[in-house]
Amino acid sequence: MNAMKLKLIFGDVTLGVSGESFHYIFSYQAGGMESLNILGKEWLYRPPRPAFWRAMTDNDRGASFYKTSGMWLLADSYPCCRSIALSVDGEQIPDFRAPQNNRFSGSEEADTVSITYLYDTLTFPPTTAEIRYTVHADGRVRIEAAYHGKAGLPQLPVFGVRFLFPTPAVRYRYSGLSGETYPDRMAGGQKGIYEIEGLPVTPYLVPQECGMHMETDWLEITRNATRKYRDADRREFCLRIVSDGSPFAFSCLPYTPQQMEFADHQEELPPVTRTVLTVCGGVRGVGGIDTWGSDVEPPYRLYGDKNIHFSFVIKHSEQEQL
Amino acid sequence: MNSKECQNLAWLDDPAVFRVGKLPPHSDHAWFADAREASGGRSSLAFSLNGTWQFCYSENPHARPADFYREDFDAGQFGALSVPGHIELAGYGHVHYLNKMYPWESRQFRRPAHVLSEKPHGCGSFADTPYNPVGSYRRTFDLPPAMAGLRVRLRFDGAEQAFFVWLNGHFIGYSEDSYTPAEFDLTPFLRSRENLLCVEIYKWSTAAFAEDQDYFRFFGIFRDVTLLALPAAHIEDLDLRPELHPDLTSGSLSVRLKSSGSLSGCAVKVTLYDETRQPIAEKTCALASETLVVFPELHGLKPWSHFSPSLYKLSAEIIGGDGNTLEYAVSSLGFRRIEISGKTVLLNGKRLRICGVNRHEWNGRTGRCLTFEDQLQDIAIFKRNHINAVRTSHYPNQSEWYRLCDQNGIYVMAETNLESHGSWQKLGETEPSWNIPGNSPIWETVVLDRAQNQYELLKNHPSILFWSLGNEAYAGTALAAMNRYYKEKNDGRLTHYEGVTRNRKYENEISDLESRMYASPAAAAKYLSEDPAKPFILCEYLHSMGNSTGGLKEYMELFDLSDAFVGGFIWDYIDKALIVPDNLTGQDCIRYGGDFDDRPSDYAYSADGLVFADRTEKPAMQEVRYFYERYET
Repeated sequence: MNAMKLKLIFGDVTLGVSGESFHYIFSYQAGGMESLNILGKEWLYRPPRPAFWRAMTDNDRGASFYKTSGMWLLADSYPCCRSIALSVDGEQIPDFRAPQNNRFSGSEEADTVSITYLYDTLTFPPTTAEIRYTVHADGRVRIEAAYHGKAGLPQLPVFGVRFLFPTPAVRYRYSGLSGETYPDRMAGGQKGIYEIEGLPVTPYLVPQECGMHMETDWLEITRNATRKYRDADRREFCLRIVSDGSPFAFSCLPYTPQQMEFADHQEELPPVTRTVLTVCGGVRGVGGIDTWGSDVEPPYRLYGDKNIHFSFVIKHSEQEQL
Repeated sequence: MNSKECQNLAWLDDPAVFRVGKLPPHSDHAWFADAREASGGRSSLAFSLNGTWQFCYSENPHARPADFYREDFDAGQFGALSVPGHIELAGYGHVHYLNKMYPWESRQFRRPAHVLSEKPHGCGSFADTPYNPVGSYRRTFDLPPAMAGLRVRLRFDGAEQAFFVWLNGHFIGYSEDSYTPAEFDLTPFLRSRENLLCVEIYKWSTAAFAEDQDYFRFFGIFRDVTLLALPAAHIEDLDLRPELHPDLTSGSLSVRLKSSGSLSGCAVKVTLYDETRQPIAEKTCALASETLVVFPELHGLKPWSHFSPSLYKLSAEIIGGDGNTLEYAVSSLGFRRIEISGKTVLLNGKRLRICGVNRHEWNGRTGRCLTFEDQLQDIAIFKRNHINAVRTSHYPNQSEWYRLCDQNGIYVMAETNLESHGSWQKLGETEPSWNIPGNSPIWETVVLDRAQNQYELLKNHPSILFWSLGNEAYAGTALAAMNRYYKEKNDGRLTHYEGVTRNRKYENEISDLESRMYASPAAAAKYLSEDPAKPFILCEYLHSMGNSTGGLKEYMELFDLSDAFVGGFIWDYIDKALIVPDNLTGQDCIRYGGDFDDRPSDYAYSADGLVFADRTEKPAMQEVRYFYERYET
């Protein structure tokens, strides 16, 4: 086996992609990337999905943003994978599923593999979004996400890719702006490298969207536990997310927006068991004019009829000293 | 006291009765036995009555122990209550948060007297009602030896919302206006030992119509209680009028003293000290009940401002006929000029830019009962984040707060204790059918009393640049009278009132500033661009509830758009939420409206702060810091 090539396993249910220190699984039934295993550590609890919702802020609630845009909560809650496309070394492979996969031998190799998941949105009118994973021989994964805007669709609270990591992060470090920032509240953020212990949730009185970090160049998330049976190893391991040309926004929290949406107090949030990382290409501002009707100002809205496209790269921690 | 020599519960239902036996308001200067005592800062003429009092809670006036003030009353069934503190937070009655609704909504139908022609006497008694909690407080005290033989007064710095006082079984007085001091003369009934002091405090009276602030609704003695002794000759009031000339280095000072006691043969030595405590002017003259001392020409003055809060000190020493000091009174002061030039507000000749916050007095555990340390922490947070101004929403604060603002260069919009939005804003609509104070001459006396209580107490604080008539009380002749009251003081300060924008008929009579709340940047820009009639201020903006405070940039750009933009006060400084143990788990949790089975409620709307209820800064503070630093003046 060529150490600089990706090894491909064209299974009946999944595509396996591996290299010396990593093994990835792209599922045909789970609607997304099912495993991101690096040096024996699993990073995915469930497949990443398009993120369309944030827990409503008090201002969102006050402006009844949910009345017009509530359909994005449904779209966020239930990703509907419509189709999967695959290309290897830049070439479309239309017939990778059973039974056409009988032609493979198990010794297939490639320099790059690109797999695209197309999702229908549970909105009216419906539209689509896609997440494309391009795996390079060194294990890097470039992730491109696209929202296909459509006339008649309401404003979005957010657009991004949401990851559920199996255990809570012990800390994360990033290069970007200080503090919690949003498009309409980021002038005061200072550029720098910041290390955040644990997965803090900003203790707003009523749990709501929080923890966004705009204009980020890279992010490194550290965990020290897995879900493997009786795994007592607490040595730390980490994953890096780096920008792909232009900076990204992210939040790294212990909860999904759905978990935060319906809690009335911080202590009603569930026990912390996972890491919820949302990498965003579009973020709605938080607003501030009032909490009883005013929308956020126009430059800070995400209009439903506008396309959003962004990308970032997942790297192994040893691939780049940041 | 004449006809009002005993308690009369009818006063609870009569808006025209708000002070019985209550002494006139006066400046908040400090007085000491002599200069040496003053330099130590502790007056032998003041004695705290804070601490544990005997206490009885009753759900309504009928259920109260009506004779509890008698010396032969057996208070064996009374519990104990810590003073100062809110009665509800000690576990009595109900903790209830409401924004605009009056707190008896759905339980009793009430209309104020003197407002509706078809209900001239109003309806819904506060005295004869199944629910209007009463707190009965008792304590004894021995007269401190230093006070023996002197006139002695009792001062409540804050007691909510209407209360009666007795000493040794004698009725002393009655007071409304929860947020300014109430002083009573105890001298006639005082003895050296075992004085019995009794206070009966009502959660509501007609004052409730004027005190409908958006907050947790509490009652009780929530600020200090103090015994004050007056030397044989005493300065009751210091009215300091520092004038700073346009050259910003020369000026004058007039000092008007009101005195009481045996003044014959007394002289007063008035000394002005600069910020380094060096005496720079001094005059001695005979002391009369009214004495005017003028320093017509002062030079080398340093103006007071945010960046350079140069505080001068004035002492007034009363010297008796025998040459001994009878009293040593002190007050701070500052020299500064406020002007409107065109439509621009100038401070010391330069454009004033208010980068402010609204601040309720709040502590997550003790409510509106604040410690000095809480206030110091607030000042530190202000300074760190370049907050240069505070609106005391929506009532006068503890006097200490204004002293801290003087010392730290925080501009103050001092707001009168008035908020009546429940009387004219219903379900978000303007519906002033029974608005108070409106055009009622009776209610006018109520709000004028509140204006006077604030003005007389705080008039010497250089930090106060604006007198605010109140908040969300609509507009009519009574508000116009308040505006006139403040303007007639001719102290150079500007008047402020937002409510007149809801009834523009009075806009030529009310408010030196065009004030709006929650105007969008576009709406503000529109006013500023269309030949504004007045300087423009946002008395409340950037509603910082939850994860908010976005779009500050668009507001700050108004400074660049127009010189008529004075700035604004962010709503607001601190989350008004309560940190309490959960009934089920015993764990400390943070609670808001509706969490106490309190209905109806406005839920989490009490919590709109830039800091959480425990005073940790919210993430949005870095944005405030960034912009306020750029526009700070």
